[in-house]
Amino acid sequence: MAAVSQSFKTELLGAIPSLRAFAVSLTQNADRADDLVQETLVKAWDKHESFQPGTNLKAWLFTILRNEFYSQMRKRGREVQDSDGIMTARLAVHPAQHGQLDLKDFRGALEQLPEDQREAIILIGASGFSYEEAAEICGCAVGTIKSRVSRARTRLQEILKISGEDEFGPDAISAQVTGSNAA
Amino acid sequence: MLEIRATMKEMSKKQMADAARRHRNGDGNPLGANSEIARKLKQYYDELVSDQVPDRFAQLLSQLEQTEPAQKKD
Repeated sequence: MAAVSQSFKTELLGAIPSLRAFAVSLTQNADRADDLVQETLVKAWDKHESFQPGTNLKAWLFTILRNEFYSQMRKRGREVQDSDGIMTARLAVHPAQHGQLDLKDFRGALEQLPEDQREAIILIGASGFSYEEAAEICGCAVGTIKSRVSRARTRLQEILKISGEDEFGPDAISAQVTGSNAA
Repeated sequence: MLEIRATMKEMSKKQMADAARRHRNGDGNPLGANSEIARKLKQYYDELVSDQVPDRFAQLLSQLEQTEPAQKKD
């Protein structure tokens, strides 16, 4: 096996804060998140030869972390949540005063999302990935990511009792989704 | 009438191109840059990213490096 280069190691180190943030978003648990990051780093180190220099290392690492997360969930015998089958009957948090939405309430709302929607809205809305990159990370179609982001946003708005805050008409994201044939 | 429609079509094309450009440049937000959800999501995530990284990760990488004697620099 070829040795791991210094630049690869430096980039791994640099990616750790993002990996931890993504891991916490997925697991909703700091300890499990750090174990997940550790596992990701070991895996990335072992298979560093399969990384194509010049491509997006962060996306590559996120893919490894995400695969590890779902494989751990399967091992734990926990069924992976399927957002289509989730009932939306959970209680909403207190209605937010305009502009006074508490971060704690937001965190609680995010926790209520099914995993697939949560990861989609995090990858697109927070981690800064494009729809194409997010689709690659999640191993699904671009249209699927778009619809998950849209559903996640709608669900968050419902839970947090936010409405009518869109800048460009009713729903720019839904419009994008219905305008696309990808699924 | 036709003219208006054509203008509208042009406009939406331009808007779509603008949105795509903003997205590529990373300064756009598909959730709507000023939306409460987008802001809170950023705040939530930035707080996680700025959390101090425990030493265990740097140690782990050093350990991995040590188990690999034939190391090269580039």
